[in-house]
Amino acid sequence: MACHVTATAPHEERLPAVRCAGCHADPAAAVRTGVHGSRAAPSRGPVATCAACHGTHGVRPAAEVGVGACATCHGAQVQLYRDGVHGRSRQRGNSEAATCRSCHGAAHALLAKSDPGAPTYHLNLPRTCARCHADPELARRYNIPVGNVYQLYMDSIHGRAVSRSGLLVAANCSDCHGAHDIRPPAEPASRVFRANVPSTCGGCHAGVLQEYQGSIHGRQVAAGNPIAPVCIDCHSAHQIRRVEGEAWKLEIVRECGTCHVESLKTYRDTFHGKVTALGFTRVARCSDCHGAHTVRPAIDPASTVNPANRVATCRRCHAGANENFAQYDPHADPESRARNPWLYHAARFMRWLLVGTFSFFGVHTAVWGLRSLVGRRHGSGPAPPGGPGGEDGGA
Amino acid sequence: MPEYYLRFSLGQRLLHGLLMASFLGLATTGMPLHFNQSRWAIWLAHTLGGFGVMGFFHRTSAVLLTLCFLIHLAHLGHRLFVKRELAVLWGPDSLVPQPGDLVELGRHVRWFFGLGPRPRFGRYTYWEKFDYFAVFWGMAIIGGSGYVLWFHAFFSRFLPGWIFNVTHLIHGEEALLAVGFIFTIHFFNSHLRPEKFPMDLVIFTGRVSEDDLRTERPEEYERLSREGRLAAIKADPPALWLRNFGRIVGAAAVTVGLVLFTLIVFAVFGR
Repeated sequence: MACHVTATAPHEERLPAVRCAGCHADPAAAVRTGVHGSRAAPSRGPVATCAACHGTHGVRPAAEVGVGACATCHGAQVQLYRDGVHGRSRQRGNSEAATCRSCHGAAHALLAKSDPGAPTYHLNLPRTCARCHADPELARRYNIPVGNVYQLYMDSIHGRAVSRSGLLVAANCSDCHGAHDIRPPAEPASRVFRANVPSTCGGCHAGVLQEYQGSIHGRQVAAGNPIAPVCIDCHSAHQIRRVEGEAWKLEIVRECGTCHVESLKTYRDTFHGKVTALGFTRVARCSDCHGAHTVRPAIDPASTVNPANRVATCRRCHAGANENFAQYDPHADPESRARNPWLYHAARFMRWLLVGTFSFFGVHTAVWGLRSLVGRRHGSGPAPPGGPGGEDGGA
Repeated sequence: MPEYYLRFSLGQRLLHGLLMASFLGLATTGMPLHFNQSRWAIWLAHTLGGFGVMGFFHRTSAVLLTLCFLIHLAHLGHRLFVKRELAVLWGPDSLVPQPGDLVELGRHVRWFFGLGPRPRFGRYTYWEKFDYFAVFWGMAIIGGSGYVLWFHAFFSRFLPGWIFNVTHLIHGEEALLAVGFIFTIHFFNSHLRPEKFPMDLVIFTGRVSEDDLRTERPEEYERLSREGRLAAIKADPPALWLRNFGRIVGAAAVTVGLVLFTLIVFAVFGR
């Protein structure tokens, strides 16, 4: 192979440049279509020549050119990758784990992620990740908790915004999970680690994050409470939907109730809770009174359910609400004599009225029915119309 | 051809019809809310047209039943204060419970166990009086609490907030009592027991045959004949169309009632 035109040794001090394209015409042409061969590249760093990746005299075949070659220029990204879930999985010998090429495509024609044709372009990335992560089998092999993650995401509000509306501002996979630095959710350094979820979501939803950080949930999470809810507990992660949807409005009530069991139980005793249980959302749900991201304990003066603010909160739906009205207990417990004495006694009275009435008349009716049946059979019951009854009683 | 006597006037029958229709309307639109945790309740609520439609028909039925109640009260007032019929308040033609009713109950129970003859019932038996006052009390309690809940903003001007908690509880529980009582005890006592099965048409035709009157209410029959009042209430036999009308309306009401009652039993004991 004559790469250097004048191949004599010892050679002159400076040999003419090697033209790989002389033999490798196709790869060379491909490089010119991608970012590595583009004229824009030199301004951003050293030129990715053939030799930069393949080496010179020890030129390696394509299959042997690995992540290390990319690291020559993209050192920071490769370091993040190596520390991330894909890199470590590779290191453990798992040949299925993604490398640079898996996501960015083959190196020669590789496109920058700002290029609409790039597999890493914002609108294309979900499909790129899906090449591996739409496969439930893969998820099972590597203990990835969500198997059908791609399908769920594509049906979510984020997925629809990306795939249908082509919104560059809607979250794709890497907006939440990171790109090179993807880590499993159990790792504290992961962007989707529980305690990091609010700041990850807050990357886009900054206003909501601000409200949430002031709420009891946000403060508890910040204080390290492991069961206090973060964004995904209420909204879910990959199935996140519009909050205006009827189904979601009903589900969120049950969701609050998974922690606030007692509150959901007493809520279900009220008109509000009964109507929502039937599947209608015109009445107050948890967040209508307590706030959603702003939820605060009742003792907090800024809480919508603080005694000082209750009338205003009721008035959001009940225009005529006053002080008396706001004394209504929307979580009354008929079993609690201390909290709702009148209700407690009323419940007891009604229970005994029902038990008493149905017991007395239940027995009365049952015995009567039996007696009438027996009487009919033996002919000693009341006479049927036109029967012997006509003989007594004179008119 | 058997003789017939008028037991219920046309006005009374129409009022009972209005009571029936509005009561069934209230029960059908109210019970899903009470048993909101049951699948049938969710299904029924959506089938009826949803929360808004249920509320509309519940309130419409409530207004009709209130009307029914007020007409009855006005009629009673007229009889009592204008016509000075004190028999409304006491005596054999009154619905007011009297010591004799307790005696009747005791004798009836003795008859249940074969320890004595069947009591000689009059115009209104003790269970009919209970039916009447149960409905009377029920309308006052359920209706009153219902209006407090309907116009909560108005009532909150002078009632404390806990009242709404209590009225909501009482409205539902009392309604359950009323529905359960009417759909089982009243249906049985008046229609489904072996002597009457499948239906006593008197509430639709208003007429009772001489034989029935004599065997079922011997005290009334003898009293009326003794006082010579029988002739005044003599009536023509109920027309076939009227009897069929009663059968259809009655069967429909009993069916709706028993279906609802079955669903309630499912909801209460099926969990």
